[in-house]
Amino acid sequence: MENCREPWRTMKLVFVIFALFTANLFAEVDFNRDIRPILAENCFYCHGQDAAKRKADLRLDQPGDHTKGDLLKRIFSHDPDELMPPPDSNRKLSENERNLVKKWIAEGASYDVHWAFVPPVRPKPPEIKNSAWPKNPIDHFVLAKLEEKGLTPSPEADRPTLIKRLYADLVGLAPTPEEVIAFTKDTSPNAYETLVDKLLASPHYGERLALPWLDAARYADSNGFQQDGDTWQWMWRDWVVKSLNDDLPFDQFTIWQLAGDLLPNATVEQKIASGFNRNHLSNGEGGNIAEEQRFVVLFDRLDTTATTWLGLTMACAQCHDHKYDPITQRDYYQFLDAFNHVNESGVPSRQSAKNRVSAPFIELPTEENKKRIAEWDLKISDQQKVTQPILESEYQKWSKTVKADTPDLPEKARLLLVKSEQTEVEKKEFQSTLRKHFNEKIQPGLVDKIPELKKLENLKKELADYKGDHLPRPMVMDDAKKRDTHILDRGAYLSPLEKVSFGTPAFLQALKKEAPRNRLGLATWLVEPDHPLTARVQVNRMWQYFFGIGIVKTSEDFGVQSEYPVHMDLLNWLATEYVSSGWSAKAMHRLIVTSATYRQDSRMNNWHRNNDPANRFLSRGSRFRIPSMVLRDWALSSSGLLNRKIGGVPVYPYQPDNPWETLAQVTKERDFTYPASVGDDLYRRSIYTFWRRTVTPANMFDASSRQACRVSESRSNTPLHALTTLNDPTWVEAARVLAEVVMTKGADLGQNLSLAFQKVTGRFLSPEELELLKTTYQNQLSIYQNDLAAAKALISVGNRPVPTSLPVAEHAAMTAACLAIYNFDESLTRL
Amino acid sequence: MFQDLYLQNSARVTRRQFFGRASAGIGTAALASLLGDDARAAVMPSHFNARAKRIVLLWQGGGPSHVDLFDRKPILTKHMGENIPDSVRGDTRLSTMSSGYKSFPCIPEIKPYARYGKCGMELSSMLPHTGSIADDICLVRSLHTEAVNHAPGVTFFLTGGQIPGRPSMGSWLTYGLGSESENLPSFVVMTSADEGRTCGQLFFDYYWGSGFLPSRYQGVRFRNTGEPVPYLSNPPGVSATARRTLLDDMAKMNQKHLEDYGDPETDTRISQYEMAFRMQTSVPDLTDFSNENPKIIERYGPSVHTKGSYANNCLIARRLLERGTRFVQLMHSGWDQHSNLYTQLENQCRDTDAPSAALVKDLKERGLLDDTLVIFAGEFGRTPFGQSRPGMPNKGRDHFGRAFSWWLAGAGVKKGSIYGATDDYGWNITENPVHVHDMQATILHLAGIDHTKLTYRYQGRQFRLTDVHGHVQRGIMA
Repeated sequence: MENCREPWRTMKLVFVIFALFTANLFAEVDFNRDIRPILAENCFYCHGQDAAKRKADLRLDQPGDHTKGDLLKRIFSHDPDELMPPPDSNRKLSENERNLVKKWIAEGASYDVHWAFVPPVRPKPPEIKNSAWPKNPIDHFVLAKLEEKGLTPSPEADRPTLIKRLYADLVGLAPTPEEVIAFTKDTSPNAYETLVDKLLASPHYGERLALPWLDAARYADSNGFQQDGDTWQWMWRDWVVKSLNDDLPFDQFTIWQLAGDLLPNATVEQKIASGFNRNHLSNGEGGNIAEEQRFVVLFDRLDTTATTWLGLTMACAQCHDHKYDPITQRDYYQFLDAFNHVNESGVPSRQSAKNRVSAPFIELPTEENKKRIAEWDLKISDQQKVTQPILESEYQKWSKTVKADTPDLPEKARLLLVKSEQTEVEKKEFQSTLRKHFNEKIQPGLVDKIPELKKLENLKKELADYKGDHLPRPMVMDDAKKRDTHILDRGAYLSPLEKVSFGTPAFLQALKKEAPRNRLGLATWLVEPDHPLTARVQVNRMWQYFFGIGIVKTSEDFGVQSEYPVHMDLLNWLATEYVSSGWSAKAMHRLIVTSATYRQDSRMNNWHRNNDPANRFLSRGSRFRIPSMVLRDWALSSSGLLNRKIGGVPVYPYQPDNPWETLAQVTKERDFTYPASVGDDLYRRSIYTFWRRTVTPANMFDASSRQACRVSESRSNTPLHALTTLNDPTWVEAARVLAEVVMTKGADLGQNLSLAFQKVTGRFLSPEELELLKTTYQNQLSIYQNDLAAAKALISVGNRPVPTSLPVAEHAAMTAACLAIYNFDESLTRL
Repeated sequence: MFQDLYLQNSARVTRRQFFGRASAGIGTAALASLLGDDARAAVMPSHFNARAKRIVLLWQGGGPSHVDLFDRKPILTKHMGENIPDSVRGDTRLSTMSSGYKSFPCIPEIKPYARYGKCGMELSSMLPHTGSIADDICLVRSLHTEAVNHAPGVTFFLTGGQIPGRPSMGSWLTYGLGSESENLPSFVVMTSADEGRTCGQLFFDYYWGSGFLPSRYQGVRFRNTGEPVPYLSNPPGVSATARRTLLDDMAKMNQKHLEDYGDPETDTRISQYEMAFRMQTSVPDLTDFSNENPKIIERYGPSVHTKGSYANNCLIARRLLERGTRFVQLMHSGWDQHSNLYTQLENQCRDTDAPSAALVKDLKERGLLDDTLVIFAGEFGRTPFGQSRPGMPNKGRDHFGRAFSWWLAGAGVKKGSIYGATDDYGWNITENPVHVHDMQATILHLAGIDHTKLTYRYQGRQFRLTDVHGHVQRGIMA
């Protein structure tokens, strides 16, 4: 029995949680909330939209005479041959679910359109009892639900916790102890809001908030696959950071990224923005079928766009009508048409040994580029002056030798040559054909024989190489190639069926008459104020960002298979608020972080652990591990190493030796040695780390691989993470520099340890904790006092010069203590 | 997400007990996900008796030539240089390297075949060591795939889709089966580079990625150079004692924080730091062969002591499997003989033949083969016709996904048998076709998992390794 007890407890717990979220709580049956999830999960696969899979000609995804049929009998049957869902389907209705269906049928089996496909109606913030708690309308929705459950919110977190939370969420950098103390001492009623506004105005806000957007956009600095050529997409990344800092309204943010190139007189910025859909993988392997790859890219573009803006998986409809959502295969290909006119081949093209991008791209020469190119142009034209007469005389020599049997002579020239009499026109034509042939076929053969020509050739090649290596060519979208779009049988590009033209899915609001039938039309359609999905999907992801989990848990799926949100009214209110704020993300972020809901303490009591471990009722603050990219920034900023430069070409901070060894072993064409940065570039924020798509930076654990769109974070907890933050020189160097900083303040041990702890966690040590940290330090000190060589080695990790003024053993012990501080659960977590 | 973490934490505490009770059962993580995330869909997957507790996948990247190695076709010799008839070729989709060809000349196997074992299995004489385990393997001659190129082909077999992004087979299996080892990762990947490799293929990390499964199920790649696992070693100047002391002191602070905040995630973190410490000892121990019997090591071939060689990786694989790693994936490449079939294929065989066979024998002698599945696999085969490059007529073969061969050995596999067959030209499958998804279904089945029931909910859909396809090939099993 002992063995069985624990799993059983887990299951029991799950059932308790489950019961809390199901209709037991609710009196009346609501189709969208109570019934659709049951039908979608258990029935639609065989009795849904997909006619090809439909069994017994029965549809349960739309109204029918279900009160009369034997639906009830079948789901309550004890006969395995009759029972629905069939026992071998891996689907089963619970007692509770069966009873709900029974009740629904008794009440008339009425249907509603799936809630997410109907525009949100702005609800009034509900009445609440504890009117002292709310700070803004968000809190009314949250508190009303808590009061309904007989729950109370957690108290507000203390100031050091709040400032750490705000810094982690809004700028991703550690606050200084001075900032913490100032905030803690600020008694003005608007202290909190003042801090929020300061952070929203910080140029680091855009860097922090860009991270989830880069994941959605599958942004990387290389193409992926064998040659894994580097790109200049970092210009798009810089545009994102800038737009977030400028609070470019989300409707514009959307239109620029999906169709900036199609705007009238599109600016360079708008074209760069359209690179959102050029951040895809690009496969240049030999033997590739380019058209097949073009479709891979097209499907990816559509899936990324659908997941990012609509919160829908359209990929299923690539092969067949969607089994759950009302997306038909026709909808899919009509939508796809928007992306099908890019003048692209499907495979990347070589710019230099290092760089590969695919057309369309724009060239954005820097001042340095312009200067260098002008120099080359001058040299080339000078050399052309030298080669021109040489070529002319070569041509004359050669043209005299031309006979009818000269090999490879163009047919046209040959025919004219053997003609007994040539007209004037024919003579001219003969000469021009001959010259063309000479230029194209004969002249290249002369290059190696005539040094002047060789020199010219070399100059041109040098220029092309220079451009390929150094002239930025960010990839953008265009609509320059008209193609027919067909429905593809089972999604196979070689099996076109009926031709279709651009359209938006029929189950969502219709495209406006005046809207252009192209990508621009698609983009403007997405941000129409009454679009049922766009605003909801975005505010849900904001909620996920600030609370660790969305109001709709499945932030990537708002379809009929998604969870019916506990806080539906809040979601709808936020969505309408977003639109009426003029799509200001900053305004929404401000609203969320200034709410009482957000400011709650995140301690878990027994009730929380047993009844709401995921905090879906929001009766406490949220607590989650800080993303690895931000943890690195935190280490750099708290130790003072951080280089705050914003934007620009990617950098190459510490990585294990030969991080690209697998590429280096295979691709001989270019050098895949990691070009490790030196000096200040080692300490740039993680967003500027070069992101090789085939090899994710080793210390960025749980980061998206940036191979496909990702709209929610992975937060696992593994030994490999522990090894990273304990052993990676990034953290070790930060620890020894932090140790140096606190030790050079010259205070006593307790003050040094307190200061280090404060710089990392934002809060003050309790006396008991200080004793623990002192012991940590003393234990390490006794080790290093007996091994000064080891101490010297530890304090020499990283490129930063080692101070000579500090006692070595003490510095090493303090380094170890600081490394411990960086690795405390509290430090890795946003409380 | 938090609920998952909470449940994972509960699961961690009970993993051992749970496995003690139901060793063939579904892993606790999958169980937690089934019960927690989607209680509505929580139907406990029915399971077969698991034949394979561990799996080692010997990936042969590039596309080993089935006609030269595994599937002898005398007609290619008889009609050498003549065209393979249109009626045989049909409208097979070929890579752009050969799709424009006007002639498709038969090219015979480059070295003779021989018969091996009591079962008399016909294999290339370039594979004598594989021949020596012929009575232990099942040779499958009827695999097929839609992929024409390497990356999509490998991705298809390893993740169930041709486009990157889905969880790999190893992550599905560790998600489903849980971990057996407290000191080592349950899913380990090693890549190799040997002399024989010519046109090497790149190994992308999504070949062992976890896709939309939690990232803790992704394979841990042991690197060839430097440390096997990034950041495994303590920083300079930090001894094991210093680290142990530091971790003990840290645990006290973390314990206080756990008491203060009450989040089970903190408890998990404490235990993950402990496992990290154990890995720092157990991983280097894997590559320390000093206790190995030299006679046995010799069987792996002369390059067994060369770090990063296929042979070296095979031996480490055995040591991992012994220590409880669930899924070991060796990624080897160099089978892509477009223009150097005659000069390179034999080298390639030399690099891989002895180590692969030694691994099987070694496992057998240790009594591990009965519940370890060994898979020798590539993403496709090669064209029965010759591929030409300017000035190099018919020196190689192009990619060919329509029919090709793998072998399997160990847990539950029918010994000394051949499954499936192709026509006279090795072009079309004539018997028991095994599609990518069929093989995946079979592998999961051998591990005791019903491929239709090992699912993960993502983007509103229950995803599985075999997509919506796959038929278990019972003929492969004993």
